[in-house]
Amino acid sequence: MRQGILFIILLLLLPFAVAVQDLLPAIPPFQARILLLPVVFCFGVIALPLVPALFFAMATALVQGLVLLQIQSGQAELGLTVPVVFFLVWAIVLQMASEATHGMRWEVHALGSAVVTLTLLSVEFLVLCVRRGGFPLEMTVLLRILIPSVASLLIAPLLYFVLRNLVPVFIEEANLAKKTNFSR
Amino acid sequence: MKKIQIASLVVLVVVAIAVCLLESGALTLLQSRLLGVISPISRSGSAVKNSIGSLGKDLLSLDQLQVEYERVLAENRKLRAENNGLRDLQHDNDHLRQVLGYRERSSFRLVPALVLGHDAGVWWSTIKINRGSADGVAPDMPVITDKGLVGKVSGVSSNLSEVLLITDENCKVAAKVEGTKEQGISAGSRDPVGELRLTFLSKLADLQPGQKVYTAGVSGGIFPSGIALGTVKSFHARELDGEAILEPSADLGTLEEVFIVTGAK
Repeated sequence: MRQGILFIILLLLLPFAVAVQDLLPAIPPFQARILLLPVVFCFGVIALPLVPALFFAMATALVQGLVLLQIQSGQAELGLTVPVVFFLVWAIVLQMASEATHGMRWEVHALGSAVVTLTLLSVEFLVLCVRRGGFPLEMTVLLRILIPSVASLLIAPLLYFVLRNLVPVFIEEANLAKKTNFSR
Repeated sequence: MKKIQIASLVVLVVVAIAVCLLESGALTLLQSRLLGVISPISRSGSAVKNSIGSLGKDLLSLDQLQVEYERVLAENRKLRAENNGLRDLQHDNDHLRQVLGYRERSSFRLVPALVLGHDAGVWWSTIKINRGSADGVAPDMPVITDKGLVGKVSGVSSNLSEVLLITDENCKVAAKVEGTKEQGISAGSRDPVGELRLTFLSKLADLQPGQKVYTAGVSGGIFPSGIALGTVKSFHARELDGEAILEPSADLGTLEEVFIVTGAK
C-alpha cells in the first residue's frame, strides 16, 4: 500500500519536474539547461523495488519522449523507442548499483543522476546526428552535455534529502521489499 | 520471483512494445494530453516567477498604473507588429501580385500570448506560450513579435502551445534579402548559438553586413511574406552556394510576449 503511494508521488513528480525545469533560466554563456527529470528518475528507481522501478522508468520514458516530440514530415524525430530502451536499461543498472551498495545511498543517486543526464544528452545528440546527418562535435556541444550533467550532480543531493525526509517511511519499506526481491 | 512479478514484467514488455509502435498521430495526441497536464503547473510557476521578478517594480508604482502600463505596452507591441507586417506587405505587394499571383492581404489577425518559459530540451529550441486550441491556435501557425519572426507553433493543447523557434535546425524559412533578388532557406543549427544560417544563395551574392532579410512567403509555405527575419552578419561562398550568417530580428533569448498569426484580416 505504502509502496503504491510512493509510486504515485513519484509519478506526480515527473510532470512537475518538467514544468519546473522549463521555468529555470539557462546557464550562461552556452545557454545550457538544468534537467530535473533524470534526477527524479534516479531517485525513483533507487527508492522503488525492481518491478515498480521498471514501470516508473517506463513512465519517465513516456514523459521525456513526449516532451521532446517533434514531428518532421509526418515522422517523429526522436520517437519513444529510444527513451523507453534508455530508461529501462538505466533502471536495471541503478537497481543493481543500489543492491551492490546495500540500499539507498545519496552518493549513488548523485552519481547516477549525473551519468544518466550525460548519457541521455549524448544519446539524443547521436540520434539527431543519424536522423539529420552530420556530426558537429564542437566544444559548445560538449559543454551543452557536460554542464547539465554537473548541474544534476549538484542538485541530486538536495532533492535526495528533501524527498528522503518527506517520505522516509515509504522509502524504508520499499527498500526492505527490494532486498527481499533480490535475495530470492 | 513471484507469479505476480512475472505477470507484471510481461505486462511491462507488452506496454513497452505497444508504446514503441505508436504512430505520429497517436504521439501528437499523447503530447497534447501531457501539455494539458503540465499547463496548470507551468502557468502557476510562470505567474509566481513574474510576481517575484516584478516585486521591486510593484513597490515603486501603484497597482493600477502597473496594470494600465502593461495593457498599453501590449497594445503598442501589437500595433507595431501589425504595422511592421503592413509596411512590408505594402513594399512588396505590387511586385508579388504581378509576378507570383499572391492574393492581396491587408494585415494579419494576431492573438497575443505570454511566454511561459523556454523548454529545457538541449538540442531543440522551443518555448511554451499560454494560448492553445481554445484560443484558435493550431499547429504550424507563425509566431511573431513587433521586431520580427519568432517561429511556428509545433504542439498544441487546449490552453498551452509549444513554439519551435527559428533558431532550431528544423525550423526552415524561405527568405529574401532586402535590395537584392537573392532568396534562400534560413534555419538554425544543431549547436544553437542564437544565429541563423541562410543557405542556397548565389555564390556571387555580394551581401553586406547590416542588410535586412525578410520572409519570402513561398506558395504552400506557412510564413507570410515580408516579416522581418534577421540582419546579415557575414557572407561567404561555399562549394556550391553562398551562405550568410544572420542575427535574428527578434531577441529570442528575452521573449516575454509574442503574437500568433491566426490568419489574414
